[in-house]
Amino acid sequence: MNKQYEHIKSSGGIDEYRLKSNDLKVLMLQDTSTPVATFMVTYHVGSRNEAIGYTGSTHLLEHLMFKGSRNYNKEKGTAIWDELQSIGAQINATTWNDRTNYFEVVPSEHVEKAISIEADRMRFSFLRDEDRQPEMTVVRNEYERGENSPFDVLDKNIWATAYQAHPYHHSTIGWRSDIENVSTERLKDFYDVYYWPNNATATIIGDFEKDATLSLIAKYFGEHEKSSHEIPEVYTEEPVQEGPRRVVVKRSGQSGITAVAHKTPPGLDNDTYAIQVLGKILCDGKSSRLYKKIVDTGLATSLFMYDFPFKDNGLFITYAFLTPETDNQTVEDIIISEYNDIVKNGVDEKEILRAVAQIRATVAFSRDGSYAVASALNEAIAIGDWEFYTTFLDKISLVTVNDIKRVACKYLIEDQSTIGWFIPKNTDK
Amino acid sequence: MKFKDSVIIDEPLNGLSTFVIPTQVQDVVTISGSMLGGMLFSDNNKIPSLTSSMLDKGTRNNSKHEISNQLESIGAEISFVSSNRHINFTAHCLKSNIDIVVRLIAEQLKEPTFPEDELLTLKKRMIANLEVSKDDTKKQALINFLREIYPKGHYNRRSTIEDSINNIRSVQTNDLIHFYEQAYGLGTLKIAAAGDISNDLFSALIKTHFDGWGEQAVQQLDGCTSLNERKPSRLNKKINDKTSSDIYIGQTLDLSESSEAYLGLMMGVYILGGNFSARLMQTVRDEQGLTYGIGSTIAGCAYDTKGHWHTWGTFSPNLVDKGITSTVEEIDKWYRNGITKKELDAKKATLSGLFKVSLDTTGGIIDKVLTNAEKGRDISYLDNYTKLLNGLAKEDINHAIKKFIDPGTFTISISGSDA
Repeated sequence: MNKQYEHIKSSGGIDEYRLKSNDLKVLMLQDTSTPVATFMVTYHVGSRNEAIGYTGSTHLLEHLMFKGSRNYNKEKGTAIWDELQSIGAQINATTWNDRTNYFEVVPSEHVEKAISIEADRMRFSFLRDEDRQPEMTVVRNEYERGENSPFDVLDKNIWATAYQAHPYHHSTIGWRSDIENVSTERLKDFYDVYYWPNNATATIIGDFEKDATLSLIAKYFGEHEKSSHEIPEVYTEEPVQEGPRRVVVKRSGQSGITAVAHKTPPGLDNDTYAIQVLGKILCDGKSSRLYKKIVDTGLATSLFMYDFPFKDNGLFITYAFLTPETDNQTVEDIIISEYNDIVKNGVDEKEILRAVAQIRATVAFSRDGSYAVASALNEAIAIGDWEFYTTFLDKISLVTVNDIKRVACKYLIEDQSTIGWFIPKNTDK
Repeated sequence: MKFKDSVIIDEPLNGLSTFVIPTQVQDVVTISGSMLGGMLFSDNNKIPSLTSSMLDKGTRNNSKHEISNQLESIGAEISFVSSNRHINFTAHCLKSNIDIVVRLIAEQLKEPTFPEDELLTLKKRMIANLEVSKDDTKKQALINFLREIYPKGHYNRRSTIEDSINNIRSVQTNDLIHFYEQAYGLGTLKIAAAGDISNDLFSALIKTHFDGWGEQAVQQLDGCTSLNERKPSRLNKKINDKTSSDIYIGQTLDLSESSEAYLGLMMGVYILGGNFSARLMQTVRDEQGLTYGIGSTIAGCAYDTKGHWHTWGTFSPNLVDKGITSTVEEIDKWYRNGITKKELDAKKATLSGLFKVSLDTTGGIIDKVLTNAEKGRDISYLDNYTKLLNGLAKEDINHAIKKFIDPGTFTISISGSDA
């Protein structure tokens, strides 16, 4: 055991270590199926850490993190993309509500390169104004591409309506005027507050040699001190919703969308597991309740629901993409009626068994390939407990018929709802 | 991974080949298969497409709900689609459920019933999806681009949305039954499985469940080599309320995948716009900030068919003209000056590494093996692929760029609110 680390715990084949010098958390899962490994650094900062005036900053900062750092930059001929893509790595970064992650899927012999680059940009990223200016228009085009999609626009509006005080109110891409006007200084401040080893988790999955990799992580990340300040906590809480809310978006288009959203508890709440099973029963697969009533009958081309577990409260949203003759109200009534049926009558055991089998298979598929594991683990890290990933299936298996009825009664209530309609202007009904 | 040693190739039945790739992944099996009978095999390309989409709508033994219940109760998925030449299917399941999944794949392929009411609903949904695509800037720019560069009858030409809708409307159940009787059966069926699976088990299951299926009456189509005379053109498709525009710039190519120069030109195009560190992303995005995404690729050249090269990008409405100018300048530099040895060496390493990384999942492995088999290549081609890449010379690539790219003849297709 490398003495620079403290072993914290192990679960589901994953080992957690703490780099003693700076509190960097390290997760490791060995899998030698293929000679490939994924290295990922997750920072505990996302769009929930933003406020008016600098919405979208976490994401814009993520873009600037590719523009160069002390050892990896164009001037030295060692630009990050060139260094990694020239060895065939798949690389990228993503930002969401609760986290920002940077990852490299590399042939195993190149793990050191990935570790070295991530360590360098953790504290030595350039973040220059001359880089921000062209990158702002890049990000603005990303925003504009999202705005092309009626679904994206409706989804943003639903969150903005459901959450008024809490920063989940704004989407991760941010508001356009904030993207355009946020200063480089503000982004640097953001970096200096959150990009520290004691606010990050380094994860490595796949084919690597454990002791050697721990030494490499200590060698490169060990040069950073832990932050001299406490990482700020988000203290804004969403006030209790006191009635149903509605939002309508009208734009040019061909077909409508109906969405029904209800507030859910924070991801680590024990009710999360029953809510996940409930979502499968309602919407996942051709034998799910809503698929039979809405898609099989030709009222919609497709439907899906999501109930992502977040660090704070979330939303349980069903989306139906309507066929041209279908009006929004008809589908909204069917969704609400199906929810009410579960509130009143519950579900049967067979439905739970089917949903649990689907989740069991999904979890197994999510272990197919090192990036798939890293990606799923990343979301558990983001909500504050990586063991959410390793214990998820066991807890899902404990969900009962009574649990489903209880969470339906508790969360699928009208006063906690936000209904969203996209109405195509061409065929305004 | 050495493909020749890792992939077990078998022919458990006449007209059915299997490719089994056991990996160390636990519990999971991915299955993919294909056979000839795709959209090119009917004058109305929606008949093959509707036929494959109706396979899961009921069989002689099971209704569609019985099928979906069986699959969903074990967390498995099976999907069928039609591509230009093939009927394709993919399934994911746990190792313990492989028998059920292979049985249901076979049953849906062998005994579909094409219920009338299901066809009506499916047509309605497909038409609705096409209606929605009228507002999709990327799809509209691509359709216009392909209709401009390819002559009528070329495999890579696309129908207008209205023609596609009319084609769907005209399809009747008898059309599907007739097409099914012609195109489905043993003959060109290839099935690959990767993951926690043995060849003995898989081969036995295939034999059990596919035995007795009749023969299909379709054969591989010849390549399509006729092209329009190239001439410069600019097409605009206006779509209201769009905040980003999609642009295609490109031309047809007088070569196919089997041409000697293909791999070299492919590498040259990759250096221009294959990934983030390629020229277009480095200049038009990274330096000039004009786009979120821009890339360049060769398409439609498989099976001895002459295809095309294009660059695709998105631009803010007020930056479209500037974006096109900058992109064309970059293409022009690439054409005039060619690629450098440094770029070639870097991209050889990139593509060799990417090939390795793509084998990290069962789906990635199967995709390589099945596509290779569909093209009639020996499995050793996959083992030699990186060697072929590494053998490419700068001079040959630059010669191919000069020979096949013709900057005076680009078609530019724009779709967005400003178009």
